[in-house]
Amino acid sequence: MSHDESRRKFLKNSLVVSAAMAGASFGLIDPLEAGAEDYPDMSICNGKDAALITRQAVEALGGIKRFVRPGAKVVIKPNMSFARSPETAANTNPLVVREVARMCAEAGASRISIVDNVLNNPADCMKLSKIPEYCKDVPNTHTNYIKNERLFREVSVERGTQFKKMRALSDALDADTLIAVPVGKSHGSAGVSMSMKGMMGLIYDRTSFHNRYDLHESIVDMVTVLKPHLVVIDGTRILSTGGPGGPGEVIPLDLVIASADMVAADAQMVALGKWYGKKLEPKQIKHIRMAAERGLGRIDLDKLNIKKISV
Amino acid sequence: MKRFQRLIQLLSFGIFSLLLVWAAYPETREAPVDAFLRIDPIIALTTLIASREFQTGFIWAAIVLISGLFIGRAFCGYVCPMGTTIDLFQSLIYPKSKLRATRAGYEANRGRRSLKYYVLAVVVCAAIGGVSLAFLVAPISLATRFWGLVIYPVTLWIADLGLDLATPLHQYVPDLAYIQISRRVFATNMFIAGFIVFISALAIKGPRFWCSYLCPAGAMIALFSKKPLVYRSVNSSCTECGKCVRNCPMVAIRENPHSTAHRECLLCLRCKELCPENAISFYSHNETLKPEPATLDLTRRAMLLSAVSGLGVASLVGTGWNEPRLLGQERAVTPADLIRPPGAMPEPEFLKLCVRCGLCMKACATNTLQPIWFKAGVEGLFSPSLVPRLAACAVNCAVCGSVCPTGAIRKLPIEEKIQAKIGTAWIDRQNCLVWNRDKKCLVCGEVCPYHAISFQPASGRRNGVPVVHPNRCCGCGWCENKCPVEGAGAIKVSVVGELRLASGSYIEKAKEYGLEFKIADKKFDKLAPDTFESSGIDEGGGIQEKNSSPKQEQLPAGILDE
Repeated sequence: MSHDESRRKFLKNSLVVSAAMAGASFGLIDPLEAGAEDYPDMSICNGKDAALITRQAVEALGGIKRFVRPGAKVVIKPNMSFARSPETAANTNPLVVREVARMCAEAGASRISIVDNVLNNPADCMKLSKIPEYCKDVPNTHTNYIKNERLFREVSVERGTQFKKMRALSDALDADTLIAVPVGKSHGSAGVSMSMKGMMGLIYDRTSFHNRYDLHESIVDMVTVLKPHLVVIDGTRILSTGGPGGPGEVIPLDLVIASADMVAADAQMVALGKWYGKKLEPKQIKHIRMAAERGLGRIDLDKLNIKKISV
Repeated sequence: MKRFQRLIQLLSFGIFSLLLVWAAYPETREAPVDAFLRIDPIIALTTLIASREFQTGFIWAAIVLISGLFIGRAFCGYVCPMGTTIDLFQSLIYPKSKLRATRAGYEANRGRRSLKYYVLAVVVCAAIGGVSLAFLVAPISLATRFWGLVIYPVTLWIADLGLDLATPLHQYVPDLAYIQISRRVFATNMFIAGFIVFISALAIKGPRFWCSYLCPAGAMIALFSKKPLVYRSVNSSCTECGKCVRNCPMVAIRENPHSTAHRECLLCLRCKELCPENAISFYSHNETLKPEPATLDLTRRAMLLSAVSGLGVASLVGTGWNEPRLLGQERAVTPADLIRPPGAMPEPEFLKLCVRCGLCMKACATNTLQPIWFKAGVEGLFSPSLVPRLAACAVNCAVCGSVCPTGAIRKLPIEEKIQAKIGTAWIDRQNCLVWNRDKKCLVCGEVCPYHAISFQPASGRRNGVPVVHPNRCCGCGWCENKCPVEGAGAIKVSVVGELRLASGSYIEKAKEYGLEFKIADKKFDKLAPDTFESSGIDEGGGIQEKNSSPKQEQLPAGILDE
């Protein structure tokens, strides 16, 4: 890039920004909706076809190219830590995971790694979740469970309140793009488990979150570092009770939520679902509220620009 | 010729290793994984005498004994995995020049040659006294235990280390990072390895020291090998140069090289190979000199001493030895955490039958079965016991019984094994998060495959407290394994209520005792033995007592009131 060009670009950008600020001050443009590319904060896509609604939801957000550059290394974190079949909703719908992986491949990702730290017998988790089976033909895509210590490395958590260091999956730390593809589910200890709680599948010592630290604060500490660039929540069906492993009540919602804001996406999933037989406010979930309070994302759903699609 | 021996040894050892590898869950192969243990004459003899019961499997060992009449101790030279192990280790430890008897000639080693017969006498007399010493001296038991509980986990460990060292390659081969090996651990393996190294190191006193001087199985075959069909004979071209006498690995050739101690000869054919005059033959016999009659050289005094020692060991074991144990009494005195594998015979019979080959522990699907040290007394050395904190007993697995060569652990079909109660869990309230720290924790109830733990209201506790229902608890140890309390955990399995049936059906006995082992979940085919399709169980996994569920159960932690 030559000097001239960058100067020109700077001038252009400055003009755009000042115009936008001027517009905003006169109430012409909502600053949240503006921005150079004008993307919505979140998209919710309804429909019966899991793959299609996944794609539409990401498209509505500006498309996968917004998050995955050609040659990028992508880590996708679904839920596949239980030896349960897809209909039990303890793991992410493999169709949703595959569609995300396909989009990444189409965007030219050089390596797409689908990983989770399994809780049940590793081979059976892989087999029954069906995620490896569905994703094996997607180019450059590898599905693995992660258990061995050597896959993790220590990373400092500067904004941590419970801990200042943790061991996280090296591949996730090194990834150009980290995508969370959780299923919406209830959780016996965290209330619900979505994109943020799901990140615990990328760290080594989960037990200490439960035993040594406050679980909710720990989740928030963790996602200050393991912050997904894109969240795609599988709401094709949710595990309303009995989570995280089930068995429990499975409710079909036929939707997928996509957002670059993990807090907003999780909050939205809470608001759309029914949990333990009742409707819950996002702010009732301790770790979601804490994450918003600590500025990691937004919980004020009514103030967000949400694009809703039905297909 | 030596090559021929090595080839057969390799073949035999290959089969031995393969069977050892196949001794694992799932039992997909019909292969007799315990075949080598069944042909060990000393295992058969001690088990027969100690248990006073004949098993048809002993016939294989009898065939090995009778083979002595035809091919002498070829079994020791060609088939025995312990012999091969010693051959391997002694050549690793010592240079070739050191691997020679310190004193050449059969006569020079006569005295210590008789040792193995005395060892045999000790073992037999101890067995008469009801104590099986097979675990100390049976060669195939030693070899199986060593390869299964030392070399097998060490191999996994080395492979894992290799993957660790290959970490810098991950940037070039990202998939390398995801090759993950689950290591195995076995207690006491330092002693198992140490023993093998020790008897291999004895080769400094003469190659295959163990086989020549100590092995009672070798002694048994030797008793049948006075003059087998295939034996070493020397013809008239012999110049009595003595080369064979000096080089015989078993020191089986007498000072007069025309004469051989056939009971000691492994038919390795080394002498035939070395002889400059081609004077030695093993098939066509035309000896020029009549060989000296073979004698056993046993003294009455030493024999008597051995017999007394054997009975002495048995009597000491029977009267206490290291700690008082009243086995076979109405109330046996055993440690509370001596959890035997499901289907294990009643303790006295179990100890008589178990030869500590370690096959059950090698095969165990979860690695919970561990060799013990003195927990079950001196006579219980290296016998298997569950360590639930390490791993739980997999519900749909009965591999330990199916590989057991002597029936110390009964071969049970899965339906029977599920009813074979090995103990009962109890809650250590001093450590329990719910009881002691008033926290909410449901882990033990959630993981219990038998639904034997429920959560009930207790005064002064905000959350439902875990309660074990003994008639539903099988003692599998899932609760103990997963208890989040550090150290020993707050729920532990003890031997209370264990079912040890020498015969008959566990299902019927369980019914008689009012036990209700119910696994509501369907088992998936071809999956791990603890993977279930859990459907239709009540929320939370644990059993919620109707009408007594505390209010806190309705919403989990992490959800705030509005």
